[in-house]
Amino acid sequence: MMVTDPLYDEARLREIIDLDLLADDVEPLLADIAAEASERLALPVGMISVVLDEALHVAGFHGPDGLWLDETRGHPVEWSFCATSVRTRDAFVVENAQTHPEHQSNPLVTQDGVRCYAGVPMISSRGYVLGNLCVVGLEQRPFSEADVTVLRDLAAEAVRRIERRRAAD
Amino acid sequence: MLSPPASPARLPGYDLREPVEADALTSLRRVFGPERGEERWTQACAAAGLSAGHVRTRVQLVQAVQALAGQGGPSAAVARSVEIRMRTYARLAANAAATAGGAR
Repeated sequence: MMVTDPLYDEARLREIIDLDLLADDVEPLLADIAAEASERLALPVGMISVVLDEALHVAGFHGPDGLWLDETRGHPVEWSFCATSVRTRDAFVVENAQTHPEHQSNPLVTQDGVRCYAGVPMISSRGYVLGNLCVVGLEQRPFSEADVTVLRDLAAEAVRRIERRRAAD
Repeated sequence: MLSPPASPARLPGYDLREPVEADALTSLRRVFGPERGEERWTQACAAAGLSAGHVRTRVQLVQAVQALAGQGGPSAAVARSVEIRMRTYARLAANAAATAGGAR
């Protein structure tokens, strides 16, 4: 088996394309879930990401207007907090990004002010991690198990919608 | 073998450089393996009316990446990655230029 890092797994990337997750009509399908995550965890940004091989694609977003992310609809994968969950298949929580060993020098932290993050993987019924449902904040804060459970439930709903859309095609 | 990577300047603060042909090829090799990756890129370039290893300009890279996306499957995912990296670089470089201009 050639692949060791799930990020570059050909089959995982095929699943993302088979689910048509890069299409424009995904955003309206998922935007309310991103908004609900943001509201329930009281953080400014809620997002549904699709983690590709070298970039994160924003599939659903709720947050302030005027961010450069609005225009690019993604960013390089090496800045991505969400990529960790693709590798671990588990939740990833950063309570203080400025002291986090992997992210303290991340430009999203040093240049754009990200201070906290919590995300859970969206795993398709075929077993592939597609990306994350996550929340992002500009101030450090703790996250509880209950917070992560909220995100897990919303991520499950996002996957249900995505797969229902595939079944309807 | 196709051409070696060029080394464009990095964007200050973000440590990001503008993607070039070699980056697309590296991504494809990583996902598909060396031979299939190179084959996919050669096909994409040909479909765009370009010659693999000689994609020199931003416009040519966009054309080749669009053709790569047209292959579907994992190639389309790799193509979107390159596109996002190009878009991010362009947007942040414009921000940096505007900030530098405003500081004068």
